[in-house]
Amino acid sequence: MKCDLAQEMIAMAVYGELPDEKTPELEQHMAGCDGCREELEAVRALAKAMSLLPVEEPSANLIARSRLRLEEAIDALPRGSWLLRGWRRFIQGFSRLRSAPVAVSAVLVAGLTAGGYSGFQAGEHAHSASASTAVVQSAAPSDDSVIDVAGIDSIAREPNSGNVEVVYNRIQPETIRGSLDDPRIRQLLLAAAQNRVNSGVRDSSLRVLADECRAGHQCDDGPVRNALMVALRYDKSPAVRMKALEGLQPYVADDVNVRDAVLEALMKDSDPRVRTQAIGLLEPVEADSSVREVLHTVSVRDDSPEIRTATRQVLDQMPQVQ
Amino acid sequence: MSVDSLRIYPPSSANFPSSPKAKIKSSSGMAIDPSVRATEADLIREAQQGSRTAFDALVRQYDQAVLRLALHLTGSEQDAEDIHQEAFLKAYRYIGNFRFECSFYTWIYRIVTNLCLDLLRRRKSRREDQAVTFDSSGEEIDLLTNVSDQRASSNPDRELNRKYLGERIRQALDKLTPRERMVFELKHFQGLKLRTIGEILNTTEETAKNTLFRATRKLRANLAELR
Repeated sequence: MKCDLAQEMIAMAVYGELPDEKTPELEQHMAGCDGCREELEAVRALAKAMSLLPVEEPSANLIARSRLRLEEAIDALPRGSWLLRGWRRFIQGFSRLRSAPVAVSAVLVAGLTAGGYSGFQAGEHAHSASASTAVVQSAAPSDDSVIDVAGIDSIAREPNSGNVEVVYNRIQPETIRGSLDDPRIRQLLLAAAQNRVNSGVRDSSLRVLADECRAGHQCDDGPVRNALMVALRYDKSPAVRMKALEGLQPYVADDVNVRDAVLEALMKDSDPRVRTQAIGLLEPVEADSSVREVLHTVSVRDDSPEIRTATRQVLDQMPQVQ
Repeated sequence: MSVDSLRIYPPSSANFPSSPKAKIKSSSGMAIDPSVRATEADLIREAQQGSRTAFDALVRQYDQAVLRLALHLTGSEQDAEDIHQEAFLKAYRYIGNFRFECSFYTWIYRIVTNLCLDLLRRRKSRREDQAVTFDSSGEEIDLLTNVSDQRASSNPDRELNRKYLGERIRQALDKLTPRERMVFELKHFQGLKLRTIGEILNTTEETAKNTLFRATRKLRANLAELR
């Protein structure tokens, strides 16, 4: 056996990683090789040197401190479920739209049409959308050559002829009119609010939802409020975030999730106008201790002097909680 | 000469996980009692569904090992704490993405190792060159021969000397690339198997082995040049 191989094996043996069947070879080589015995000494010397820096157990103090700090950090994260659910739906909506690329292009920028939604659906349930069959001559192209295709279901060659049968799905753009009280309209608006690709559609739907919520239409259930809260947290446009705040205003007093979302906006939103608007929304819950805590933090740490002053004023106006 | 006599160190017996409930048969932690593994899978699923208690239980299983690794690698309690915090916060945020394709142990160690590598890289870009080490009589210290020749009687302040020599070792280790340092740490000090190290670093066992050899060659050269 060559020495460089033996030296590798020595290193492996030292770390307990030499396969057992290699042991006899190595022992035999070591018996007759001075160079490799020196190598072993060198390896041992290195190990002894490394033992000057032994692995120490973390002290009980360090463990306790770390655990406590972690607890506090996790407690401080935004509350799980509504945010995660909203975010997941957001992402899923995006990936569904991606699977029906032609459908996306059919969504009109101005106003909301059911075309977007059926395209949405076509991507998701390709088989349940209306299917047409057409016989296509393989030699000559058909006359009605422009077809709005959402997806091809199947292609089959007819035996003994030049014919091919193609089963495909079409997009049918449709329009629907109604108020937010109509569940179909609500469903479409919620779907549009998640439209990651077309921000015009998303903005319009969020504005409509926010206005309707303020007017008291059908926002008592979760999904519309959640859509507004997700927009408040994640939308890139400050105007949309401010609109979402408007829509959530009637619910700050009664819904703890809404209150927390507004508090988070006050602490973390990058736009001072949004943060200022958030302060205004907190009026009905000013006396809450968690609200006071956030106001206090903001009064000290916010970048904008106006906001610091505004929060301090709110705090001063409240009677001290005993 | 028996090859068994070549084994010069057992890795620290208090290897991960330190919870008494987990029956770990080898230091690499690979041979986990199936009933314990099943419990861990349940905990993971519960944590994925949002159970904070389940997540906390998972943290308890691994956090001492994580601290031990981070503490020895960085030499600083503060850095170890920071790595602990970042690692478990990441685990909390991304536990939904865990698909049971590898063991949870590997998953956690990957997170921690990547954070350690980041820290090592940051440190490397900030460090100045190390000076040669001299002892009190002005002679250059040859650490390789000094260690086996315990001149305790001529050295009144043994504790200080030990810490000092420890620092010199740390300096030699700092001369390795972050990856070499990481592999050496995981193999030599934490006692993980090369195969595990490969999984953690998303590479092969062979690559991990070669990185280990490079590290040991460099260390021997670094420590010997003080001769």
